Amino acid sequence: MVGEIRRAKFIGNLLGRRREIVEQVVSEEPYKEDQEDDNDNDNDNDNDVEEIEILMKEQDTETTEARAHVINDCVSLLTAVNEKAELKSDFHRQYLDYAFQIKLPPQMTALDASQPWILYWVLNSLAMLSEDLVSDEMRRRIEEKAFAISPEGGPFGGGIGQLPHLAATYASIEALSSCANSNGSWDKIDKKSIYNWLLSVKQENGGFKTCYSVGEVDTRGVYCALSVASMLNILTDELVENTLQYLINCQNYEGGFGGCPFEDEAHGGYTFCAVASLAIMGALDKINIPKLIDWCATKQYNEEKGFCGRSNKLVDGCYSFWVGGTVAILEAYGYGEYIMNHNEMREYILRCCQDTKRPGLRDKPGKNPDFYHTNYVLAGLSVVEYTFKIDNPKDPFSISAEPRKGVPSSNITAINPVYCLPIDLVKNFANHFK
Amino acid sequence: MSGFDMNNYVDVEPLEIETGLPDEVCPIMYTDEYKQVMSVARRLMQEGEYSERALQLTSKAIALAPAFYTVWNYRYSIVEHLAKESGDVEGYMNKEMDWLDEVTLGNPKNYQIWSYRQALLKIHPAPSVKRELPILQIMIDDDTKNYHVWSYRKWCILFFQDFTNELTYADSLIQRDVYNNSAWTHRMFVMKHTNPSKHEVREEIEYTKKKIEIVPQNVSSWEYLRGLYEVFLDCEYDEETIKFAEKFTDDILKLDITVDKEVSALPNIESSYALEFLADVFAKIPSPENTNNAKKAYTALSLKYDPIRSALWNHKMGQLA
Ligand SMILES: [Zn+2]
Repeated sequence: MVGEIRRAKFIGNLLGRRREIVEQVVSEEPYKEDQEDDNDNDNDNDNDVEEIEILMKEQDTETTEARAHVINDCVSLLTAVNEKAELKSDFHRQYLDYAFQIKLPPQMTALDASQPWILYWVLNSLAMLSEDLVSDEMRRRIEEKAFAISPEGGPFGGGIGQLPHLAATYASIEALSSCANSNGSWDKIDKKSIYNWLLSVKQENGGFKTCYSVGEVDTRGVYCALSVASMLNILTDELVENTLQYLINCQNYEGGFGGCPFEDEAHGGYTFCAVASLAIMGALDKINIPKLIDWCATKQYNEEKGFCGRSNKLVDGCYSFWVGGTVAILEAYGYGEYIMNHNEMREYILRCCQDTKRPGLRDKPGKNPDFYHTNYVLAGLSVVEYTFKIDNPKDPFSISAEPRKGVPSSNITAINPVYCLPIDLVKNFANHFK
Repeated sequence: MSGFDMNNYVDVEPLEIETGLPDEVCPIMYTDEYKQVMSVARRLMQEGEYSERALQLTSKAIALAPAFYTVWNYRYSIVEHLAKESGDVEGYMNKEMDWLDEVTLGNPKNYQIWSYRQALLKIHPAPSVKRELPILQIMIDDDTKNYHVWSYRKWCILFFQDFTNELTYADSLIQRDVYNNSAWTHRMFVMKHTNPSKHEVREEIEYTKKKIEIVPQNVSSWEYLRGLYEVFLDCEYDEETIKFAEKFTDDILKLDITVDKEVSALPNIESSYALEFLADVFAKIPSPENTNNAKKAYTALSLKYDPIRSALWNHKMGQLA
């Protein structure tokens, strides 16, 4: 019975650490348990949730309660032995093709100020499934939209008539780089005005403001600025003045990085942004690498198998890339292959982030797929299935990948973890601007 | 906000918000109301109109699309102008903060609100930390790990240089949920910025140990304990703390543990983090006995208590003298 396997798995994982509680459960409710096993009704699931909550309980708080539900969902998928752990590429392709056919409903108006992101997520997801899936027509349509938003060729805003924004500029350049210069679109990018604008949002403390004059200053902004600048070959000393110190100050006592340089909580997204920025600057050796490695490693859960983004938060498929990509960068720069458990991560991605009913990839069981998670979960799969090295540590475009030994292949495209783009595409783009 | 009425803008010629591309990728099907408000807003922005009606329009636009950073920027410029014109900058800014509080309560996950708030405080003639804390408290009560709110709180405390309530505040959240990592990191934020005495650091260590006693299997409290030693005590771990950690590991380091050990022969322990803590401490103070203990701890973690990280534990073992 599934319930039984599930329970056995649980005990296997948890018993060692929670002896007293398990004994308590067993001694308090032995009969209830038997009844459940005989009982094949719809309430089965609810009963399991309760049971596991008790197992998890050292002190019942919002944290344990939320996690107990997630573990319950994940473990039943992870132990479903008759389901194969494989990437449903054709199925997900439908979801991405769909993006070229539909209009987004009014409820998606929240994305109005982030339109270039959609372009990047969709195009990159397709390219990761297989570069052949990206057609010339798709490229043309992506290019047209990017240049409708910014007819001058950058910097880019979230939509037409919107102010230039670091995240929108990053997403636009990423999307355009995936267009492989079809229709000469790369030559329409205005490097000079992007450079001047980047200088205008640069802060004295080394950070970058997402938008002039009111915007956030955090490691995300640094990453967007440095990615774009390195890809367009406009990364000058002036642009990164004080930035190294800014990033160093964002590493907190936990070992990961926060958004701001004043002991902010370590967070998977900000950690990726900081580490990728340091890689671009060739300055990874300036931070506390052992602490960073420990922090990344402890984000992977024994039970769910995937990564969470902060200590004691819930597992989420997008951290397969935010944390997994950080780990891949560390690996590329020679810090080792031992930081994450690749096969277990792969299990989480393939068993918990895909659904049989809906195409696209998701955060966790019970959540709907979306373009954002489709992109970052696939990117997570790519960093799991390849191993990375770098030819010239001063040149992040010289990262190369090989299939990782001992990990099955889903035939996904190898990405450059610093840019979250297919290795060859981003290399060609950078070469074009050399 | 009083009296939003589209009729106040009939003289404004709307500026298109749609690309007009025949086969645009993922166009959004805007509602008519959204199109109307945004296209008028675009025109007013382009004209640089800083008026009461422009302000009202931004309220409406932000209600419809809180992540629309361009409108937040526009609003900031309007407020700057109108505050000056009003002759009572402080009163005007307070009114704006009241409006912002309401928007904040309705949009807990929004990015823009917090940078807008920072921008307002910077131009407010008499900003007050007392004005800030209640709303932050409500927001955190509602979503105890909200990253933006905690980060803003830190910014705010630094801006006003007032750390008086912060340890107590973080404690109240740790009491509510001992696993709340945001609250633990807030304590380190306070410690790092207040130059604590050795005695205060000791007190903080005792505080942490009490919380570990309540819930031994908690990554946040153990990380924090480790952090205190690393940041303030130069990793000089004392016998007392080592004994404290050993309490949660059922004396397993007294056993003979090698890689071929049967997993079932290992006892149950209360905290894998305690064992990891000990391994780290023993690895840092080289002596044959410590090295041996560290080796056993890493082996046990890898075999039974934290197997997903076995490659990491093996790596650490390889680095021991
Ligand atoms: Zn996510």
